[in-house]
Parts: sequence; structure tokens; C-alpha cells
Amino acid sequence: MKFLLTIIICFYSASGLTADDGKYEKAMEKNISMIDSAHDVASMIDVANRFERIANAEKDKWLPYYYASLAYAITCFTDTITEKKDGYLDKADYFIHIADSLEPNESENYVMMGMIAQGRMQIDPMNRYMKYGPISTKNFKMAMELDTLNPRPEYLMGVSTYYTPEQFGGGPDRAKPILEKSLAKFNQFVPDNNLMPNWGRQSVESMLNEIKEKSEMQEQN
Amino acid sequence: MKLFFCAIIFSFLPLLLFCQTKISGKVTDTENQPLPGANVFIKDSYDGISTKEDGSFSFTTTEDGDAVLVVSFIGYKSTEKSIQLTGKEINIDLMLEEEAKELGTVVISAGSFEASDEKKGVILKPLDIVTTAGSAGDIYSALKTLPGTQQIGETEGLFVRGGSASETVTIIDDMTVQKPFYTSVPDIPGRGRFSPFLFKGIVFSTGGYSAQYGQALSSALVLKSQDLAEDTRTAINLMVLGLGGSHTQKWEKSSLAFEGGYYNLGPYFEIQKQRQEWDTAPVGIETSTNYRLKTSETGMFKAYASYHYSDLSLYTKNLDSLSKNIFTKDYTKLRTDNYYLNLSHKDILGDDWTIFTGASFSLDKDMIDLNSDKFDRDENLNQGRVTMTKQVFNNSFLTFGGEFQSLSYTSSFNEFESRMNEIFFAGYLESDIYFTNDIAARIGIRGEHSKTIDKYNFAPRISLAYRLGTYDQLNFAYGKFYQTPYKDFLVQPKTSGFTNNNFEFENATHYIFNYQYLGTGRTFRVEFYYKDYDNLTKGYLYTYPYNHLNEIPFSNNGSGYAKGVDVFWRDGETFPLTDYWISYSYLDTKRDFANYPGLANPTFATPHTFSVVLKHWVQEITTYFGITYSFATGRPYYNPNKPNNSDFLSDKTKSYNNLSFNFSHLTSVFNNFTVVYFSIDNIIGFNNIYGYNYSRDGVIKDAILPTTTRSAFLGMFISLGESNPY
Repeated sequence: MKFLLTIIICFYSASGLTADDGKYEKAMEKNISMIDSAHDVASMIDVANRFERIANAEKDKWLPYYYASLAYAITCFTDTITEKKDGYLDKADYFIHIADSLEPNESENYVMMGMIAQGRMQIDPMNRYMKYGPISTKNFKMAMELDTLNPRPEYLMGVSTYYTPEQFGGGPDRAKPILEKSLAKFNQFVPDNNLMPNWGRQSVESMLNEIKEKSEMQEQN
Repeated sequence: MKLFFCAIIFSFLPLLLFCQTKISGKVTDTENQPLPGANVFIKDSYDGISTKEDGSFSFTTTEDGDAVLVVSFIGYKSTEKSIQLTGKEINIDLMLEEEAKELGTVVISAGSFEASDEKKGVILKPLDIVTTAGSAGDIYSALKTLPGTQQIGETEGLFVRGGSASETVTIIDDMTVQKPFYTSVPDIPGRGRFSPFLFKGIVFSTGGYSAQYGQALSSALVLKSQDLAEDTRTAINLMVLGLGGSHTQKWEKSSLAFEGGYYNLGPYFEIQKQRQEWDTAPVGIETSTNYRLKTSETGMFKAYASYHYSDLSLYTKNLDSLSKNIFTKDYTKLRTDNYYLNLSHKDILGDDWTIFTGASFSLDKDMIDLNSDKFDRDENLNQGRVTMTKQVFNNSFLTFGGEFQSLSYTSSFNEFESRMNEIFFAGYLESDIYFTNDIAARIGIRGEHSKTIDKYNFAPRISLAYRLGTYDQLNFAYGKFYQTPYKDFLVQPKTSGFTNNNFEFENATHYIFNYQYLGTGRTFRVEFYYKDYDNLTKGYLYTYPYNHLNEIPFSNNGSGYAKGVDVFWRDGETFPLTDYWISYSYLDTKRDFANYPGLANPTFATPHTFSVVLKHWVQEITTYFGITYSFATGRPYYNPNKPNNSDFLSDKTKSYNNLSFNFSHLTSVFNNFTVVYFSIDNIIGFNNIYGYNYSRDGVIKDAILPTTTRSAFLGMFISLGESNPY
């Protein structure tokens, strides 16, 4: 009887009341992996919605807000309809500011703010680069100061430099050293836990390959 | 055994008590259109789902009891609904309302063109003004490519819908600018004094403007200056006309900028031969200081001070002696000094009060020598303004305030001096009401008093906007616009017992109706207008260009009308990296004013005006190319050989054509961001004639021509220091 009672009690506790432990981690892990597999606007908005729900339920955790912001920023870059882009960035802005208020002086939040400013600029570069160029640089510099080991600020600055015309101080040659610095940092980077941001390495590698191929083609000509 | 089974059942009880509720439904907007990708979830829970393409959703939740269902979607107000989770399936449809601040709101815009980086629903960007060919960075030249303006080449100013240049007022940060142009000599237009780079927003109204502004019968150009500088930078400006430099220093809460320039057209006139015979080609100095301070989270203090100096002298044919076969020349020398100071402060108090206070001071001195005669003009304008705005429910707001102007104007001819001191007050009350997302109205009233003519006026202004769909709107405006008679009439000594107290305010009543389509890359607008002029000043002025006409006694018996259609089409989407716009204006106007013997089509108005502006960006060489073509039918001119009143202004010049070209090349010099700018005006070399001057006996006829058939301009702008954002 006693033995049966013990088993019943164990069963009881195992059946559902411990479901809350690890619920947050499981949901976050699942959704973080969905970011990589989402390839169109609708799926990315769905990922953003999932993070919004977690953020809304947990309230005091900054990471769900950070990832919701990231998902909306990626949606902006994915969607081709210009008139919607500011709307996505408005949402990204909204979430990253909550993340920042929950976790101030967090390097990754400043990376996000820099990325959003880059997004604003790309919508209407001729008219907006004068306002948002300095804002994105300021945010990336802040991110680097707060965490010198974070590879993402240089990754995003490198991408932007790559696409900037040479006359403005950009181009692949100038982007290369910035991206190489970022890659070196990626090689050393160890996230604090498996929920912390750890994206970008593949893009840095593929862009450096592109630069290498371009310069090899130029040498051949 | 029984006990064992009971225990098993008991252990499963918690699972059975974990009831699951299925929630399904559909999310739509207020017009029943589905919203895909909306977020539907239980508040404070992880349970939820995104809606499908057709707006439908279905999910199960393990929460129970009282709960709140939340729906959120970009651009729409979030909705919450209380529900009971009992295990029983719930079917619920939800309707979301658009957020009023999104692109989908109606915008009040009858009769105006706005250029702004920040606002939605604008047709132009400030950069458009700078890159319009033929403008060489002059705001007024760029605005002449918009419908409603006339192609007047021999004098400066905006001639809008049949009105003269004095019927357009230029306002910077809510302060009237007495002299937005450099003073000019007859038949040579003066340039605008303020660079378009100073401004973050430009509203050019061709009629029906807000009750906050007045003293302009036809139009208002409302300019808002830039806020805090973005960063510290130094710039150098090199042109064939001269050179200039500026330095901006930015701190956390403030910025200070200095700017200076020197220009001398002498060397330029050596290369580009001018029709005029210059003695001293125009020489000038421009300096200005610009200070911005964030006084609080929401407050901004601005101070702008400038000094401009210019000097020129030239010889002109004397037509009267020419008619007697004597060749003499008149010598004209003009020296001007302009001092300008503009201070303003804007802040938000409490939750919904905005308060703006501003003051300005300007002193403009002209010294003109005409042969052995001296004409001097001194104008000193001091102004103050206070405007308060309060938000009242939804997006509607109430604005009220007052302005004060003190003008002292002295005009002297040799030893004869006449003087005028005007004290002017105005008060205004205006309300912007958004009845729904589709209907908005702006209703206002303005009252003014002028001490010089000792009269009051009350001017109602109404503007309505009705949104038909996502992109199109109907707009309507009605208003009365008053203006004190031109100060040269007021300062002039008068005869036959007429004093300034006998003058009335001139007035114009505007009726405007337009249809506007504002898409993502394309804009179309067609606007019909009717202006009824009354109480226009009649009399004789001893100033150019009216001094050759017959003497007429002073009165306010003048009148007139102007009606027509303005059409505008802009397309930045169809052709890649290309932006173009087309303007057409039809104008039918007659007026009886100044020393006209009766109603006549004025010299500054012509029936058909047409402009095309095209810009194309070539990425490989980072260069902007621009072309502007303008056409206008001929304009009336005065012929003293036709003295009958019925023939007054019946002669017309030939049509006006002008094709100009420019390019802006973006590059870097020693790693500094640089723009090289080149433009040619009238490439084809059309022989445009603006009008004719006659000798007093009507024998000699002299065409009024542009200063040169073709003119070219080259300039280089270099930005040093931290300015390069990359």
C-alpha cells in the first residue's frame, strides 16, 4: 500500500504539474529554430507572433521581446512591398524598447536598434541616409562597447559597407576587413546560454566568400 | 484490488481536470476583409496562434476559468475580449479597427503641396527642391515647376493663380519674412536668400491656407527649419559664382552652426557674356548663425541670425533719349544690407498642450543711385507670435493664438522722405476635426487690425477632406483672405484729401475643389479654383514698373477674378530609378487695380503653363541627372501706342520655352563626401521675351530679355569630418 501510494504520488506530480518547468526554455528553443526555417513573410510573422505570446505571458524576460523585434526586422527585409516596411519596423522598435527597459545596457539590444535604423534607411536611402546612417553607427558602437566579444555589430556594419557605393566610402574592399574581424569574433564567441542570440555566422562566411570570388575574377580580367 | 483501481483513477484525475477548450473563429477589419497573420492568444498564457490567409484561426488552450482573448495585428488597434474557458468549444469572430496614425488616414490638403521627410501623405521631399533642374538650389525656382505658378523670368517672386508676387507670403518658423529675395534692379530677378537645406518641411499653398497665416491674397509658402543637427560636420561650397563654408558643432542637447559665403559674379560674367552692361558685377557676402537647444524631452529652442550684403551697378539704355536719336545710358547702383533674427521655442505641456512662441526682427536697407538721384528704402519689421494647440478626443485638436507686427518703412527720393509706421495685430482660432478615419475638417477664423488704415477684418476659413479609398481623396476649401494695401501706396504722399484711413483691406475669396490620388509611387491631382478679388487698391505709384502709366486717383474700387484648373501627375515607380512629374495650369483672370483703366488680363498671368521635371539616378557613376522643360503661352505687355482703354494690355509676347539640364555627381575627395553640381539653363537657346519697354512717346520698343540666352552653373560641395556616415 505504502509502495502504491508512493508510485501514485510520483505519477501525480509527473503528470502535469511540473509542465511549467522548462516550458519557457522549450518554447523559446523551438521558436528560435523556427527563425532559421521561416522563408516567407507569413511564416516570419507567425514566429514573431509566437515570441509576442511568450513575451506577453512571461512579462519580465527580455529575450522574447528581443526575438519578436528580430523577427519583425527580418520580415521587413523579406517583404518586397515598400509601403509595409515602416510598419514592420515600428513593431520591431516597439519590442526592442521593452527589451531594453527590461535589460538595459545589453549589447544585443543595441545591435537590434542599429539593425532597425539600417532598415529605415534602406526604405528610402537617398532621403534617409543622412538621418539614419549616424543613428545606426552610434548603436553599433554602443553594442561593441558593452560587449567587445559580440561579433554581430561588425557583421552588420560590414554588410552595410559592402552594399554602399565606393564613392561614399563603401564597397567590398572596405567591407572585407570589417567582416574578417566579425568572423574572428564568431570563432571565439560562446553564448551565455542556448537561448542567447547566436546568429549571423553563416552570412559572414558567405559574404566573405563572395568577396573572395569577386576579387579572384577581377585578377583574372 | 478495488483500492488499486481507485488509486489509478485518482492519479489520472488531474489529467482529466486539465480541460482543453477549443477556440476558433475569424479575424477581419471593419469592412469584413480578412486579416492574415494576426496574433490571437490568451492573455498571460503561451496559448495562441496566427490567423491563416483567410483570417481564420483555431487553437486549443489548457487554461481554464475566466480569461482574456487578445488579438493584435500591425496597423490595427489591439482588441481584448473576456471569455470563459470551460472545455466547451468557443467560436468567436473578431473585428479590428485601423490605427488612425497609419497611412490610411485622410489628410487635409486642399490647395497645398507639402514637402517633408517626416509626414505621411506628402507629395514632395525637401531633396526634390534641391535636385530640380534649373533651380540651382533656389526654392522659388523649384516651386515654379508646380502647378498654380507662372513662369515670370524678369522679376523674382511666386505669381500664383493670377496674383502678383506681393500676394504670396514667405513664412519661416511661423514668422513672416519681409524680404525673402535679394533686392533686384528692374528686369533682373533677385535670388532667394534662404537655402533649401535649412528646412525640414515646406508647405506651398496655392490657396485656401490656414487661419494661422494671413496678409497674402493668393498664397503662403510655409517653411519649417531643421531641428537639432544630426552630427558635427564642416562643409565647403565652391561655385563659379564664389565660395562658402559652414561648420556645425553638435553636443548632446544642442547644436551650433556658422555659415559664411562670398560671391562675385565678375569672373563669371567674363566667361558668360551678359546682355546688360555691368559696371560692378554683383558682389555679395552672406553670413549666418544657427543655434538649437533641446530645453527638455519635448522642448526645442531655435535661434537663427543672418546678415546679407550685396552691391552691383550697371548701365541701361535710356529709351526716351534714344527716340530722339541721342544715345545716353542710365547708371543704376544698388547696395543692400539685410539683417535677420528669428527666435522660437516650442514645447509640450502636460499631456496634450503644445505651446509655440516666436519673435523675429529684420532690417532691410536698400540704397539706390539712379544717375544723380538717390532712392533709399529702409524697412524694419518686428514680430511676435504665440500659438497654443490642444488635443481633444481622437486626433482632433484646437489651435489658437495671436501675432503682432510692427513695421516702420521709410522711402526717400533725394531729400524728400516719406515714412510709415504700421502696427498690426491678428488673432486666430482653428480646429482640426477627424470625424472618422475618412472625413476630416479644418474650420478656422482669423481677425486682423491694421493701425495705418484703421480697419478690422474677420476671415473665415474652411477645409474639408473626404477619403474615398486607401489612396484617393476629395478636398474642398473656402476662405476669405485679406491684405493691407501694398506699403508703397501707404507711404506715398497723396493728394485730393485722400489719407490712409480711406483705404480698406484688399480681399480675395477662394473656392477650391480637388480630387487627389496619392499612391505608393504615383500621385495625381486635379484642382479647380475660383478667386473673387474685391477692394483692390487703385492709384498711381512712382515706382517701377508702374511709373509710365497714367495717373489715377487713389481708391479701393479695384476688383477682379481668377479661375482655372491645375493638374499634377508624379510617377516614381514605372521607370526604375527614375522620377518625373508633369504640371499643367489653365488660368483665366482679369483684374482692375493699381493704374489699370479697367478690367484686363494682368501682365503676370497667361492662360496655359506646362512643366515637366525628370530625374534619373545612375548607380554605376553615382550621379543624378535632371531635365526640366517649361512652356507658357505669351503674356500681355503695355503698349503706349494703343491709348484706348479697350486695347489696354491687348498685345501679347510670343510663347515661352525653356529646356534646362543638370547633374549631381556624388563622389569623395580625399575621403570626404562631395557633390559636384552642374546645370545649364535654356540649352536649346530659345529667344524668350518677357515683355517690352517703350520710350514715353511710344516710338522705341525694347524687348525685356533674360540676362543671357543660355546660362551655365558649376559648383562643388564638400562635407568634411565625421559627416561621412559610413
